[in-house]
Amino acid sequence: MTPFEAVFSWVEDTPLSMWVRGESMLAFPTILSAHTLGMAFLAGTSAGMDLRLLGLANRVPLRELEKFYPVLWLALALSFVSGTLLLIGYPYKAFTNPVFYVKLALIAVAVYLIVRIRKEILLQPNPDAPEMYRRGRLLGMISLACWAGVIFAGRLLAYTYSYLLVGMPNNF
Amino acid sequence: MFTEPEFPEPWELWIRATVLHQFVSDNGAWLWPTLETLHFIGLSLLFATIGLFDLRVLGLGKGIAPGALHRLIPIGIAGYAVNVLTGIFFFSGFPEQYFYNPAFWWKGTFMAIAGVNVAAFYLTSSFREVQMLPAGADAPFRAKLIAGTSLGAWCLVLICGRLLTFYRPPIFH
Repeated sequence: MTPFEAVFSWVEDTPLSMWVRGESMLAFPTILSAHTLGMAFLAGTSAGMDLRLLGLANRVPLRELEKFYPVLWLALALSFVSGTLLLIGYPYKAFTNPVFYVKLALIAVAVYLIVRIRKEILLQPNPDAPEMYRRGRLLGMISLACWAGVIFAGRLLAYTYSYLLVGMPNNF
Repeated sequence: MFTEPEFPEPWELWIRATVLHQFVSDNGAWLWPTLETLHFIGLSLLFATIGLFDLRVLGLGKGIAPGALHRLIPIGIAGYAVNVLTGIFFFSGFPEQYFYNPAFWWKGTFMAIAGVNVAAFYLTSSFREVQMLPAGADAPFRAKLIAGTSLGAWCLVLICGRLLTFYRPPIFH
């Protein structure tokens, strides 16, 4: 057993991990629902801003999009907390799957782009000026591609894992 | 893996005779994750456009005239169309796991509520009132009620969809 595997088994034996995998509808199903809601509001709100950066709804003043950032951070927090709980439930399953690292890397890029878009476009003195458009469009396109990748990788996690040492919750 | 029920109803036999059912059940290994991905992208586009519009009507990002944000709605409708289409694929592939599933009927109920709510917005003066709002203006109470109902209904549709797997009939476990 490698040190990593020892940590995974230790985590899987904790009461919290067992609760996440347990029978309670408040555990796994609720955590998954929260994770999906987080995704919808994080990827969704970010994608909405990306569409504006691509030139759609161009009467929306770019600076005002900044007002939606609290939604992004709340959704990110919800996704992070629920995702961490899912990891505590199934550390071995997630950490031994290369697709999981692809998903994490794409999320890192997408969140970095959210920060960059705010700083380099929305908060500039003249975000709606034509010379800003090319830069914004590029950031928006990469962001949209990242979110599509995150969603694809996330969905694939259910099909690509190779080590599941603990059972799935009942009714799954 | 899934085994088909022993005594299917006539409607189940009818679906199983369709080309679509055959296509989905023959290609499940790659098709199912692909359809799920498209379904998630579709719902994200719905939240991207209708979600932002609803939030503006509720008062977030008031510096945007709602009419300007409303230009994104066709993308949301496209996302919805993707989800109806992928949903038809899901249902045709394994109709029983949806039909005999309370989460599916709850999901349908909240979709119907969202639909009636859409009608209440576009078929009344609410739409015109909101479209005419300038940047900075507060939306009328009725429009806010509709926007809140929309946001709530779509969240519940999403949650019921995510919970489908946990309420499938026992034959799927």
